[in-house]
Amino acid sequence: MPTMFPAAGVDELIKTGGSTRVNANVKSRFAPGDKVLARNINPISHTRLPQYIRGKTGVVDRDHGVFVFPDTNAALKGEKPQHVYSVMFTFRELWGAEAAEEDKIYIDLWDDYIDPVK
Amino acid sequence: MNGIHDLGGRHGMGPIDIDPKQPIFRADWERRMFGMFILAFAGGHFNIDQFRAAIELMAPAEYLESGYYEHWLYSLETWCKANGSLTDKEIDDRMRKLSKGDA
Repeated sequence: MPTMFPAAGVDELIKTGGSTRVNANVKSRFAPGDKVLARNINPISHTRLPQYIRGKTGVVDRDHGVFVFPDTNAALKGEKPQHVYSVMFTFRELWGAEAAEEDKIYIDLWDDYIDPVK
Repeated sequence: MNGIHDLGGRHGMGPIDIDPKQPIFRADWERRMFGMFILAFAGGHFNIDQFRAAIELMAPAEYLESGYYEHWLYSLETWCKANGSLTDKEIDDRMRKLSKGDA
């Protein structure tokens, strides 16, 4: 079974919704303004990379800090802590030329979900 | 997992309820479900990612027809059964008892 959660942390748990933020010194691969490509991965196991952005290009808006990687943590294969970024995708990129030009969406993405765009 | 839970961009699901005055819990059992989640999580029965992963294993039709806290119940039962702290028989016995009005 996973590690015991301290009862003293219950208030914090309710406030943060079970955040997996960790205090680990991990290098960030991306900075705000970087163009990134969401990976086209299709694991049959747990992932928090939505299907509709796979293979799409976005721009890093900000770095949220370091969090446990859900894909491995869900399978008890390690926490693999890494940076999570808020990445902006335009609706035109996601939904095509008929989408409103000004519409955009920000999606929180783990470092392992994205690659740099040269 | 490319499951039914990943609804982003799908049409025909109806409007998103953004009413800020909507109740946090729609029934008393939902309030209790929230409490049970806290206890089971604090007790180390699953981590938060395992909790989400189990919900994705629900049968697609069942997932769409059931509410938010029913998804939570499904996951909680899944993990508590997986580690032996709960059995199908215990759930069935309890449901039988409750259905007779003996809560």
